[in-house]
Amino acid sequence: MAISRTGLRPDPGSFRDPANRVYHLGEDVLRGLDERAAAEWRALVGSDFFPPLLATGKVCGTEAVDPALVGGEGWAAVLRHERIPFVSHPYEWSFGMLRDAALLHLEILRAALPAGFTTKDGSAYNLQWRGTEPVFIDIGSFTPVRAGEPWAGYRQFCQTLLYPLLLGAHLGLDFQPWLRARVDGIEPDQMRRLFGGVRRLLPGVPTHVHLHGAMQRGNAGASTADVRNQLRAAGYSHELALATVRGIEKLVRRLRRRPAASHWVDYQRTCGYTAEDRAAKERFVTEALTAGPPARLVLDLGANDGRYARLAARHADYVVAVEQDPAVVDELYRTLRAERERRILPLVMDLTDPSPGGGWRGVERASFADRAAADVVLALAVVHHLAIGRNVPLPEVVDWLAGLAAPGARVVVEFVHPEDPMARRLLANKPEGLFPDYRREEFERLLTGRGRIADRLVLPSGTRTLYRVTADA
Amino acid sequence: MIHLAYLDAGSGSLIVQAVVGGVAGAAVAAKLYWRRLVDRFRRQPTDQR
Repeated sequence: MAISRTGLRPDPGSFRDPANRVYHLGEDVLRGLDERAAAEWRALVGSDFFPPLLATGKVCGTEAVDPALVGGEGWAAVLRHERIPFVSHPYEWSFGMLRDAALLHLEILRAALPAGFTTKDGSAYNLQWRGTEPVFIDIGSFTPVRAGEPWAGYRQFCQTLLYPLLLGAHLGLDFQPWLRARVDGIEPDQMRRLFGGVRRLLPGVPTHVHLHGAMQRGNAGASTADVRNQLRAAGYSHELALATVRGIEKLVRRLRRRPAASHWVDYQRTCGYTAEDRAAKERFVTEALTAGPPARLVLDLGANDGRYARLAARHADYVVAVEQDPAVVDELYRTLRAERERRILPLVMDLTDPSPGGGWRGVERASFADRAAADVVLALAVVHHLAIGRNVPLPEVVDWLAGLAAPGARVVVEFVHPEDPMARRLLANKPEGLFPDYRREEFERLLTGRGRIADRLVLPSGTRTLYRVTADA
Repeated sequence: MIHLAYLDAGSGSLIVQAVVGGVAGAAVAAKLYWRRLVDRFRRQPTDQR
C-alpha cells in the first residue's frame, strides 16, 4: 500500500470508480472527488432525499472538508466520512445481515429515484455495519438518473446480494463460501444450474435467474449503450424503474433462511457449566475488561450466543463477536438487532480458516488478521476446539491469539483441562496420546512466552482455568 | 451529457429489468424485441444487394 509523506493511504479496495477514491489519514476516512463527482455531491446535498438519509444514519456520516487534506492528488473536492468501527465483508455476514443490507440498499435507491438520483452500482460492498445497523457507505455511488434508463447496478445487486439470499432461502445453502471465493459474486449462469426442474418456479428464480441468464446470453453481442437507447425508444420510464425496485424489495422481504439443524445452537445449554462456574467466569471476564483503560475494540472469538460479547459491550466501545456457525450468528444477529444493539457486530468465520485477503492483488478486501488489532481478545472455551478438535499445535494457538491483540492488549483465555467432560469428548474422537502437550502447565509456559499472566482462576468445577494475559508490547 | 457509468451494467441485465417491472415493463421489452425484428427485416434486402 502506497503511503505518502503526509501519511495519506489510498484504500486498496477503492479503485473501481475513477471518479472518486477513498483515503485514510490517521483516524480519518476521506474521499477525493473529481470535478463531475464534486458537482454531483453538491446536487446530492441540495436534494430532498439525501439529507434525511444522512440524518437517520442510513448513509454514513459525511461532510465536505478542505481539499488540501488530500493535496496533490488532483481532486476537486474532499469529503470526510464517519469511521466504521470494524470493516467486515459480506461473506462474514449471516443470512439476516445480508438480507437487511440488501433491503437498505433498495430502500436508498427507492428514495433516490423520485428525486432524480440513482446509484451507479448495486454491490453488497456498498454496505457496512454499526453493530447490527446497516449503513450505506458508498457516497460516490450517487449520480443523477437519466430518463428511460434501468438501474446500472442491478446485475451487481443480483450477483452479490439477491443470488446469495436465494441460495439460503430456497436451497438452505450457506452463501458465505460462494461470496468469499468470488469478489464479483455468483453469476446467473451458475445459479441457473442449481435451479433446474421444479426449482425453476421458486420465487424470484424464473425472472432474476433464468430469464436474466437467457437475456445475458442473447444480448452478449449488444453494447449497453445501444440497449439503453433501444429501451428508451421502447418507452422505458422512470415509473417502471421504480416499479422494478419495488418488485425486488418485495421479493427480498419474502426470503427467509431455510433452517438447518445446528449443533452449536444448543451449545450454551448443553456445554455443562454449573451456575457457580458461570458466575465465576462472568466475574473474571468483567474484571479483565475493567482492569485497564476502556477497550476500543474487543474480539470475542467463538462468541456462540453472545453472552460474553454483551458483557464486553458494557465496558468497551465496540465488540466483534466471531462465530463459525452461520445459524448461530443469524440467531445472535436477530436478537441483537431487535434490541437495536449498535456496539456488537456478529460475524461468521471459522477460526481455523479466517478470511484471507481477497480481490485484486489479494488486498482489495483486507484479511481478518489485517483488520484485527484488539485491545481485549476473549477466547473463552475455544482453545480445546482448535487444539484437539482441529489439531492446531498449542504453541500456534497461543501465537495466533497474541497476533490478534494490539501491543499491550489484554487476552482472556480459557483452558479446558484434558479431564474436563468437553475435552474428553473431543479427545475420544482422536487416537490416544495424540496430544501429549495439551496440559495446563505447558499452556501456561506458552502464555508466559508471549506476555505476562496478570490473573488466573480455576473455575469451581475444577476442570477449567481462566487466564488474563497482558500481551507483550 | 456523456454517460460516465464506470460499471458494465450488462445488456441482458438492463433488458430483464423491464420484464421484472410488471405488465407495463413486459410491454416495453416486447416493443424492444419487435423493433429489433422489424429492423432486421428492413435491413436485410440492402445487406444482400
